[in-house]
Amino acid sequence: MTHTLSETIQGNRKLAFIARNWAAFFLLGFLILFSFTGKGFLSVTNFQNVGHLAVIAILMASAETFVIITSGIDLSIGFVMGFSSVTAGKIIQILYAAGGGISPGISIAIGIVIVLILSLIPGLVSGVLIARYKVPPFIATMGMWGITNGIALKICKGFPVATLPEVLTRIGNGYIIYIKPGGGISFFSLPHGVGNESIREYIRLIPYSFIFVGLILLVLWHLLRNTTFGQHTYAIGGNEEAAVRAGINVKLHLVKIYILSSFIAGLAGIFNVFQTGIGNFTPFGAMYELFAVSAVVIGGASLMGGKGSIFGSVIGVFLIAFLENGLLISGVVPFYRFIAVGLLLIIAVVIDQLFPDLL
Amino acid sequence: MNTITKRKLTNVIMDLGRSWALIFLIVELVFFSLAAKGFLSLRVFQMVFFFGVTVFLLGVAELFVIITGGIDLSVGYIVGFASIISSRFVALFLQTGMSTLPALLLGIFLTLAIGLLPGLVSGLLIAKLRVPPFIATFSMLGITHGVSELLILNGAVNMPKLSTLFGNGYFLYWAPGPGLSLFVRPEIPRGGFILELIPNIVVVAFVVIGILSFMLKRTVFGQYTYAIGGNVDAAIRSGINVSRHTVKIYMLSSFLASLTGIIYVMMYVKGKGDAGASNLLDSIAAVVIGGASLYGGKGTVWRTILGALIIAILETGLRVMGIPTFDKYIIVGIILISAVLIDKIFPDKTYMDTKE
Repeated sequence: MTHTLSETIQGNRKLAFIARNWAAFFLLGFLILFSFTGKGFLSVTNFQNVGHLAVIAILMASAETFVIITSGIDLSIGFVMGFSSVTAGKIIQILYAAGGGISPGISIAIGIVIVLILSLIPGLVSGVLIARYKVPPFIATMGMWGITNGIALKICKGFPVATLPEVLTRIGNGYIIYIKPGGGISFFSLPHGVGNESIREYIRLIPYSFIFVGLILLVLWHLLRNTTFGQHTYAIGGNEEAAVRAGINVKLHLVKIYILSSFIAGLAGIFNVFQTGIGNFTPFGAMYELFAVSAVVIGGASLMGGKGSIFGSVIGVFLIAFLENGLLISGVVPFYRFIAVGLLLIIAVVIDQLFPDLL
Repeated sequence: MNTITKRKLTNVIMDLGRSWALIFLIVELVFFSLAAKGFLSLRVFQMVFFFGVTVFLLGVAELFVIITGGIDLSVGYIVGFASIISSRFVALFLQTGMSTLPALLLGIFLTLAIGLLPGLVSGLLIAKLRVPPFIATFSMLGITHGVSELLILNGAVNMPKLSTLFGNGYFLYWAPGPGLSLFVRPEIPRGGFILELIPNIVVVAFVVIGILSFMLKRTVFGQYTYAIGGNVDAAIRSGINVSRHTVKIYMLSSFLASLTGIIYVMMYVKGKGDAGASNLLDSIAAVVIGGASLYGGKGTVWRTILGALIIAILETGLRVMGIPTFDKYIIVGIILISAVLIDKIFPDKTYMDTKE
């Protein structure tokens, strides 16, 4: 019965196109709906805010995209992010407080470099466990979840790492263009001598975070779509044995994938420091990794591997982000977002069942 | 050395390797007894079991699911969901003028009934619509989490005193003078000696766990569970209604999680949305340390309890030593990964091994 139904639906190419891109159409539908129900929803400021707040989710989801395409899963990214955020915070704090000619800029740069190198380690460990020792990805990355979370909490002793240079948030929450209505335009920061208290008088355009995440997405998109690295990733997820026979070094590639995922989570942690101005550990209820997996699946990937795209995952993140924002602006209690994500996931997999093959 | 003794020696080593979890538990106990002052006492062991109940029950819930080759991410938030709706129900019945005990029993009964729903839905999604268990149970996690947070928007409701007395009470009391008494704490002068044995909730948990162990080991239900995890195709061909059994498994898991929620609210008076959220890692770790495989077909209830005990003793031991529990996460993570690696070095007995 379902079989014939799916066959008839598949016969209809227009319908199939809509169904396969349902997330994008849902996103469009929500945007239109919330423009009517929420006052101030349809505004540059609001859209910029949603995008700015979604940066971490976007990074997480693109990390998870690579892993899920190889039919794995990475549960550690949320806590790798916390680890990276806390460690970066701690290093910057120590160097900054030490004084002695170390300017904030240099201490931040040293912090970033060290943390980016450190953030490769969790991925390396879980990658080797998965590829070489055949530990299920779920367990290996869950183990790394515990380990990175414990280390992060030990470093910060259970409190966020504060008293960091103020320049962090100025960069992290800065915009490229500031326009004062009827008063002129300035680039990269508020005009000289204008304090943060009058920031609301300015129209702010294009947050730095957009440039940051845009560049990373471009690189990742290119990596997945146009390079042999990307080809191999899809090949392993589609059929691991065939990939081995085709001469792909599957083990090495899997290690690389988990290192990449962990590295992106590390980047997210550094962004988190810039955004909040403190080093944050990841609380248990945050579920960054689970929301990332949801976004990736909503974006058309399959947990069985071989399917998925950076673009789709970003659509998935925005679907969740705009849903949350729109509900909030429309005056609906924010907890509905959990329910909404749950329902969206079910829709995603049911559609995936009805339309098994990509065109 | 001749070949026979050599083979015997390898067999002994293999057997030791297979029971590494038990050996680890003993080492852990010896270590904490020596290193942590005051660890070796009745009070501490009661605390191990008292606070371990959540992971025991959730671990067993997860075990049934994992044996079938699935995973249930929702158990943690079903605990919270059940803790909230049970206190709601009880408060509602008390308002209608019902006396405490029937209100409590009816509330618990209704909660357990409603607690089957998340499992029913995710089970149906997994069995009928072929949704991956990870996704289906995560969507249930979202829905139960959302609903429970909505229910306590205006604050959580207190459970009546009777339930808290039960939740924090003991099964057996002994005091010089009044002697032995069940459930009811004898009246003794302040500071007088009283022996409190076995917390009530531990008794409840182990009765349930005992029944489940029996079910898994000795009944058709258990046989089917292993059969599905071992080889789905073979299970279907041998006439097992796999999709129906899968639904039952997720309902069982959801049921156990809501039972845990009820126990939680009896311990802590108020319900909380994320009551069991942080126990997901521990409960899956307990199952894996207990020798189950995420690919299904393996695992027993008592070994899962052994795994949960390793974690519970670790946590309590570190607390007694005064080390922040942050270390616990690191150690559990390492044990979790090592468990899989050790199980690979010492694979289960095969038919050939048993013949020798």
